[in-house]
Amino acid sequence: MSGDENSGQAQIAWVQRHSPVLDEFVRGKLSDGALKGVKVAVVVHLEAKTAFLATILADAGADVVIAGSNPRTTNGAVVEALRGRGLDVVSEASGTHETWEQELLAAADREPELVIDDGAELTLRMAKFRPNLFQKLRGVSEETTTGTARLRSMHAEGQLPFGALTANDARCKMLFDNRFGTGQTTIQAFLRLTNRQIGGARFVVIGYGAVGRGIAQYARALGAVTGVVETDPVRALEAHMDGHEVGPTSAVLPGATAVITATGGIRAIGAAELEFLTDDVVLANAGHHDLEIDVDALAARASSEGPARTGITTYRVDDRDIHVLTNGALVNIAGGSGHPIEIMDLTFAVQGLGAHYLATNTLTPGVHVLPKELDDAIAAAKLRSLGIVLDDVKPDQYDDIREWTDGGSQG
Amino acid sequence: MTTPVTEALASEGARRIAWAGRGMLALWEIADRQASEGSLRGLRVGIANVLEPKTANLALALTRAGADVSVHAGAAETMPSVANALSEMGVSVFADMTGDEASDLAAARAFLEWRPQILIDDGALLIRLAHAEFPELLPTMMGAAEVTTSGVRPLRQMATEGALGVPVIAINDAPTKHLFDNVYGTGQSCVMALLDVTNLQLAGRIVVVLGYGYVGKGVARNAAALGARVVVCELDPVKALQAHYDGCRVSTLADIARRAEVVFASTGVPGALTPDHIALLKDGAILCTPGGGAYELPMDHLRKHGTRTDVRPHVADYQLPDGKHVLVIAEGDWINLMAAEGNPIEVMDLSMSVQSLAAEAIAIGFKGHAPGVYRLPSEMEETIARIRIAHENASIEELTPELEAAMRSW
Repeated sequence: MSGDENSGQAQIAWVQRHSPVLDEFVRGKLSDGALKGVKVAVVVHLEAKTAFLATILADAGADVVIAGSNPRTTNGAVVEALRGRGLDVVSEASGTHETWEQELLAAADREPELVIDDGAELTLRMAKFRPNLFQKLRGVSEETTTGTARLRSMHAEGQLPFGALTANDARCKMLFDNRFGTGQTTIQAFLRLTNRQIGGARFVVIGYGAVGRGIAQYARALGAVTGVVETDPVRALEAHMDGHEVGPTSAVLPGATAVITATGGIRAIGAAELEFLTDDVVLANAGHHDLEIDVDALAARASSEGPARTGITTYRVDDRDIHVLTNGALVNIAGGSGHPIEIMDLTFAVQGLGAHYLATNTLTPGVHVLPKELDDAIAAAKLRSLGIVLDDVKPDQYDDIREWTDGGSQG
Repeated sequence: MTTPVTEALASEGARRIAWAGRGMLALWEIADRQASEGSLRGLRVGIANVLEPKTANLALALTRAGADVSVHAGAAETMPSVANALSEMGVSVFADMTGDEASDLAAARAFLEWRPQILIDDGALLIRLAHAEFPELLPTMMGAAEVTTSGVRPLRQMATEGALGVPVIAINDAPTKHLFDNVYGTGQSCVMALLDVTNLQLAGRIVVVLGYGYVGKGVARNAAALGARVVVCELDPVKALQAHYDGCRVSTLADIARRAEVVFASTGVPGALTPDHIALLKDGAILCTPGGGAYELPMDHLRKHGTRTDVRPHVADYQLPDGKHVLVIAEGDWINLMAAEGNPIEVMDLSMSVQSLAAEAIAIGFKGHAPGVYRLPSEMEETIARIRIAHENASIEELTPELEAAMRSW
């Protein structure tokens, strides 16, 4: 066994130690044989937590093929460990965008019946480049906000011939992964890459969805002064009532020491926004796209650029230094170790049960959410692993509307 | 304000030094003033501290001020890329990067033989070595500065016993140091290091903080911000009450050990966590120390009775005969230095500034002082906070004659 393979196995074992929901509850649910022989493609950031999900599916009898969902986030040691266990991995570490495209097509050519996808990256490519195989897909379970939006667009255009599940919209994913997971790890990666202090820093978050909210919440709890840029009036009002300074980029960006993009779209920081940035600001991206910070526009505008230290590139714009972390790639994954294990235990429980649900049910074409009782069962399993017991709802806690509609109580 | 190395640089070490320098605004502003005033010009200043980018900035700032500077660090505390870069920038580096304890001692001796007139020490190791092996050096030294709380303790004892041969400034006694470095710096860097090393959450976890001094307070605050349920163990009733009002539960370690998921030992006292506590601990509990050192944990007991497995970098799993697992980060040594990059830059700007001012205070005023432990004059220290406040685009009130009179009236 190579040193890499050993290290990869140790990383996966550490994940297992802290993943009671996957290891016990999901493993149990999947043991009914429903996934036996089913070809499942797992296309998520390829590191130890994803690897553990893949082993759970393989242990349940699924025929698993694994690819990374981003060329910059594949962990070589984990790839070796998975191959050492006999799993089919089509991705390599340190790939380029070009090799990554080839890897995704290779995953498609394994003819998966089910896809656990991230950003709908494989689903989109199968639709475009492998239309025949795409027609044979039985279902997709999607990880992210961005991918869910893509699947909904496909459905709206009549391009989604099967039922897809959005793991993202399950409460056990959205309420925890997006907010606590990305919130904590984005701040964590930022501090680790920069060695800067958060107390007294001025953190601006662009986009106040679940991810942006989590980042702003953790930044403030750790002592930062926080500002939020948002275009949706309801979310902006929410940010205001959460105690963050809210306004347009022209007002909120000047003076920021850190700007984190979390819109899930592209060009949140484009050529126009560069003008509002103060000298020595650090930019980082927490959204799915590598394009939320328009690094090309920044490079075009800069008089020089160079590495400041590992993971930091400094662009000279007029008399200002603007620093970008991990070239605008997802900072918590490209510049950290991804989400906390406990969070991914929940998210991948949603994905694992999602794959099982897709294998055992025929859904109408469109984007569906995992049934509430399965979602609830995941949280219940997590609470059980913590030894936390809940009260049952008492019958007399219900507001009995029938008393009014029947007129009974007035009689 | 520019550090000597703001341009694009070839070596990783030089880039790291430059990056830290960007955030060390007070240190460099003070260096510019010192350079124009000349108080440190031509003096040999020796720095014995962890050799990383922020210490490198102190060395370069004192060089800018006109001093002849050398740095000493043990092999384990030396970042080779930074040491090489510093050396290339003209600072004498006494560190054997590939060495062991014996070569560390040889490097320390060579550093003292370089005859520093002002010695900035960390843990009082070099001050004590000078007293033990180079007593003839003491009359040639103008004074020393000691950074840590644990280093000042033996120096006060030496002073009491009449054994201290030089005046020493206790850096940690400066509010600009202990109110910031220990609370915000160590608190953030230790909690974040734990997250980085483990890839876990603190949200919902029971985190036990032993000792509610400045470091314990910072760890508790940062852990709570990340969602931990913090329990504080204290001997001192006043500190314990403060922890209670800060929203922490207060308990004895024996009572909480069964539920403890993470323990930060920040008492600075050997034997804070005993083998008896280990017997009570929850299976899989994680132990680490943010401040003092491994001596707070029963490492000998764990090594003797436990079976050790390295589960991931910086994380060792000791399985005890009863089957229980105890996880120890960085073998119980400072988690933020051993498993991360030390304290954040901005807070080290304050601490390094206190050290550069201490060197200046020694140069201008301490020649005639009798051996003893002194504080940095508070008016010198105040300039640090003033500089940083100005750089943060913050402004403070001016003391008007009316207010001044009101404050004096009785």
